[in-house]
Amino acid sequence: MARAVADLLVLARVPFYTKGSTMTRPSANRTHRASLQGWLWVAPTLAFLVIFVYGPALANVRYSLFSFSAMSTSKTFVGLANYARLMADPIFLQGLVNNALYALISVFFQVGVALTLAAVLEARIFPRFAANTFRSALFLPSILPVVVVGLIWQLLLAPAMGLVDQALWELGLGDWSRAWLGDPATALFTIIMVSQWQWTGYIMALFMVAIRAIPRDLYEAMELEGASGPRIFWNLTVPGARETILIVTIITILGSLKVFDIVWVMTAGGPNHSSEVLGTLMYRAAFRDDVIGYSSAIATVIFFIALTIGVVQIKLQKDR
Amino acid sequence: MADSALNAERPISTVHRQAGEVINRVILWAVFLTLSVICVYPMIWLFLNAFKSTNELFSASWALPETWRWENFTTAWGYGISRYLLNSVIVTVATVTTVLTLSSMAAYALVVMSFPAKAAIYMSILGGMILPPEVSLFPLFKVLAATDLYNTYFALILPNVAFHLPFTTFLIRSYMVGIPPDLREAALVEGASEGLVWRDIYMPLCRPILASAGLIAAMGVWNEFIFALTFVESDSVKTVTIGVMSFAVALRADYGIMMAGLALSILPILATFLILQRQFIGGLTQGAVK
Repeated sequence: MARAVADLLVLARVPFYTKGSTMTRPSANRTHRASLQGWLWVAPTLAFLVIFVYGPALANVRYSLFSFSAMSTSKTFVGLANYARLMADPIFLQGLVNNALYALISVFFQVGVALTLAAVLEARIFPRFAANTFRSALFLPSILPVVVVGLIWQLLLAPAMGLVDQALWELGLGDWSRAWLGDPATALFTIIMVSQWQWTGYIMALFMVAIRAIPRDLYEAMELEGASGPRIFWNLTVPGARETILIVTIITILGSLKVFDIVWVMTAGGPNHSSEVLGTLMYRAAFRDDVIGYSSAIATVIFFIALTIGVVQIKLQKDR
Repeated sequence: MADSALNAERPISTVHRQAGEVINRVILWAVFLTLSVICVYPMIWLFLNAFKSTNELFSASWALPETWRWENFTTAWGYGISRYLLNSVIVTVATVTTVLTLSSMAAYALVVMSFPAKAAIYMSILGGMILPPEVSLFPLFKVLAATDLYNTYFALILPNVAFHLPFTTFLIRSYMVGIPPDLREAALVEGASEGLVWRDIYMPLCRPILASAGLIAAMGVWNEFIFALTFVESDSVKTVTIGVMSFAVALRADYGIMMAGLALSILPILATFLILQRQFIGGLTQGAVK
């Protein structure tokens, strides 16, 4: 186990010293001291990132090439066998598809719907206090811990006792009643919708900030011309909030990729793996089934997808 | 209701468009009222049902409780919610203090000092934002186990600090860029050290962004799940997110008490939000636009 720490220290050393020694220009003593001081100020932050973020992430990539269990003292090098197993594993592919569905639906709600709601609240249709109250009400779910949200909705969706079921019967829609989380056909979508319930209001509040940054006279000019609400939305709000839309889209996709809490609490990937996502697969492989190499391979897939999305984001932001 | 009131005010008559606008308004009111109820009602439902017996819950979960069973709350409290809340407070305060200190130091150097590889360093700090904690989970677990930090507060504080540093540094740096550099130069001429300038000039000026960044980090840590699930196991260090889960499992049969426990666990944060709505929303949406 001490090996792991040693690995991390080696990893830590690579970017640190090579960069520093090649880049320091041999100039006046004063600059040198100033540069040293600058390093000292960023060093704690960098150290934290290297030890707890980058080091483990790289160690994880290395682990994915081995086959071993958590408590074993030796590892067997297996090359890319873990990845070959992944590609042949239907549950892994199901997980990938589920993450993609998660991202797709989340982008629809948290970018499309949230932006529309924000535009309406900022269009001064409602009296100020009403708009503020709506904003607070819709924002409220986002301050709750995901675990608590998962547990509350488990209760709300429970057959017979749950509010959803009782409401359906009262409305004469008893046929629709079902075990939302216990049915493989609906489990994933139910979880995704709970997630939308929690986050749409938060993203809406973000968009409201972005819309407020668009100069007010542009809106007044368009209103004077008699432009309709939807036209103002498409021609002014959307282009004006472009930057935020881009960032929110990326955040939402990244969030869907790393989703774990809500799924783990509500179904733990079941029933029959129907709501499995990469996060739950990775977690179960490592901490339940004790196949660390396999788990690391899943984590590495998450790592590279996240990296790709990050690079795309940086490119898009540079292009603007 | 709103429909008739609006119609009475402006009879549908001459201008077609006005009528359309009124209908639009009514629809928008209906949509936002419905959404507000959907977002808020589950919380009310939780609090009301926390007072019921399991039987009552099954017969009518939307009715008011027949008798208000306050004892549900005392029983739930006795199951250890207080300890979980205390642990959450300790972990959150320690993490946020460390994050704000370290990231404001890094941001300060990145803004006012010049040193080699500055751009590369800034990029590598920001890069930490992309990596999901899942990716580092098992290696982190190994390191914590090997260093005997597993199942201590530090097992939660240290990783949380690391994962919150990038965004916090980003926020504080963006804010510090707007502080006029002459302030620092004048102070340096007077003989002040960088440390003094940071502490006595930059930190007080940064108070608004420190508050926002601190709030964002605090919410993240308070609600953090996967580290708490993996890096601690004793009740004496479990935070409220995980505590609530073991609690829910233990009380599968007694829903009233379980709901009382859930209600208690979110009460502090809910109360803070209700009192400080504006500051809360303003703080948490900081960084939406640069």
